[in-house]
Amino acid sequence: MLLSGSWTIYRRELAGLFLGPLAYVLLGLALFVNGQYFTVYLKEVSGEVTDALTLSGGVSVVYWILMVVLPPLVTMRMVSEESRSGMLELLLTSPVSDAAVVAGKLVAAVTFMAVLWSSNLFYGLLCHFLGTAPDWPALLVMFAGSVLVSALLCAIGLCCSAATSTPILAAFLGLVANVVLLSVPYLAGQLGLGERHWLVRTLSEVDLVSRHAASFMRGVLDSRHLAFFLAWTVFFAFVTTRLIESRRWKT
Amino acid sequence: MIHVEHLTRLFGPFGAVRAIDDLSFHIERGEVVGFLGPNGAGKTTTLRILTGYLPASSGSARVCGLDVLRDSMRVRKKIGYLPESVPLYRDLRVDEMLRFQARLHGMSRSDFRRRAPAVAEQVGLGDLTRAMIGTLSRGQRQRVGLAVALLPEPEVLILDEPTSGLDPIQRMEVRKLLVELGSAHTVLVSSHILPEIEAVAQRVIILAKGKIAADGTADQLVSKLGGERYVEVHAALGPAEGAASKARELLAKLPGVRSVQDQGRVGVHHQFRIVCSEDLREDVGALAAHKGWALRELSFRQPKLEQIFAKIALEFESQPTLAGGQGAEVHLAVPAAQVPQAAGAAGSGLTQLALQGTGQARPPAPETRVVANSAGAAPAPGSAPVRAVYNLNPFEQGAHRDLSAPKPAPAKPTPPPAKDSP
Repeated sequence: MLLSGSWTIYRRELAGLFLGPLAYVLLGLALFVNGQYFTVYLKEVSGEVTDALTLSGGVSVVYWILMVVLPPLVTMRMVSEESRSGMLELLLTSPVSDAAVVAGKLVAAVTFMAVLWSSNLFYGLLCHFLGTAPDWPALLVMFAGSVLVSALLCAIGLCCSAATSTPILAAFLGLVANVVLLSVPYLAGQLGLGERHWLVRTLSEVDLVSRHAASFMRGVLDSRHLAFFLAWTVFFAFVTTRLIESRRWKT
Repeated sequence: MIHVEHLTRLFGPFGAVRAIDDLSFHIERGEVVGFLGPNGAGKTTTLRILTGYLPASSGSARVCGLDVLRDSMRVRKKIGYLPESVPLYRDLRVDEMLRFQARLHGMSRSDFRRRAPAVAEQVGLGDLTRAMIGTLSRGQRQRVGLAVALLPEPEVLILDEPTSGLDPIQRMEVRKLLVELGSAHTVLVSSHILPEIEAVAQRVIILAKGKIAADGTADQLVSKLGGERYVEVHAALGPAEGAASKARELLAKLPGVRSVQDQGRVGVHHQFRIVCSEDLREDVGALAAHKGWALRELSFRQPKLEQIFAKIALEFESQPTLAGGQGAEVHLAVPAAQVPQAAGAAGSGLTQLALQGTGQARPPAPETRVVANSAGAAPAPGSAPVRAVYNLNPFEQGAHRDLSAPKPAPAKPTPPPAKDSP
């Protein structure tokens, strides 16, 4: 009941994403970059398809750059633009809860990101039919890891979109938040405080790159990391819902 | 159907801005109610509270017996809401937008198939159902917005400034549509444009500074708050001594007259303001014909809702003599000898017969104004030298211009200062 209507919102958001030119620019960019790096890594790892796909679609710096940049661009308009155009007023006066609106939008953004990362699966499929089958379970776990990281970063982006009324500002805030989230644990490790220092230990708990996502990229499905991503995604979705509710009081 | 009790909504830090203040009103099923008020009066805030978009700071609002805050979801199912900005997805087609709305309201496919063509026809979308919303004109988008609001068959229709930004023809069409909708829905429509409300609403609620300033039908508001009605008479009474006081006495004896004010003489014409409870032009005209007064002006003035709105909402005293009045103004110069003797009861129509018999009059039409030069009236013999007075506004003494007075010299244009040549 709480999320009734979210399917309608989800379909509308997904249609909105794929009807705009931005989606195809981002998809083209991701397809090109992943394909390019897959080709490069395939040569470097002597034709090991699974290793090449893991490197290009989960470990490389370019992958993480795309991961930092794309979710804020996908989510920037979802609340801020609708608030400005008045669509949010129409949605929030329809028999649909605020949580359903946020859930529909978030799942649509994550679906878009999943389509974007599915290029790795496409390359794996291509290699499979050409005679070199990849390690499919590992590849699928890696894909699931990419989707989970995207879900968290999309939730942060959606939160930024709900906090501002300008899409560009929302994208900028989301970008800054992602950079901080991904780089601060690494930078804390470079301060020379030692692994046992409380700051380093605390920050390592939220280290997405080398702690939580790394296990997925190795093809290991660890429930702790799964719970980590799901819990924080739900938390930011909850914050987004509260931010939308607070608009009612401020309007 | 809609019950609002002591509704208050505060905005800003520490509730510094009181958008609506202790608002209470009730709207019965099937009523069409106009929410009227200047910008910032609290109309949109009230509508948003009723739709569940905004919570109230205090007080309660119930729609169809349900509290808009506690039973928000059920209330939203009973309301069709068209916000002022007419929010629509511009990248969707009209039928896709309608389908989206149907899904949001949990309508079944069969219900959607039944309702979509019906509302499209009702709002006059015609063959636009496959058009992209982004390519539609403002008026067409307004129709789509109305169709979206009407699709789930709401019991209550809330429309915020539905004619805002439309051209006059589109406004007329939307007004016509609203009148039609009133037969099947309880409609609450807000506007700051008074004729819109007068055209569609049976009842008017005037908001000013977040409070209800007036509530009732247009006629009730006019009769309760509008002040006095009066007949304005400008007539040449003849040279006899005390003609003005005798005329005043005669006028005061007419049935329905409350008082007669002698407003002095301009040229050969005496001016009277007859305060009355109904339109007494025919009685006054018949009396004038009987007494051989040469009428220059005979008009009935009553306050309009517009004046009341201005007076209440904008907090300044309206100027009824400068604003447009209701009824016709008749300016005539009729020699006494040509006027047949006639008498009749109030409203008997004798005046009209008399005037039309001279061939110089036409039946009065509402909202018609005929302005004549005072030179058309024959000066009474033996009277004082007549000033040539042109009446700019026949309802206001202060708006006369004495043509016999020297005209003020037009201001000479000041030549621009000559530039020094290098």
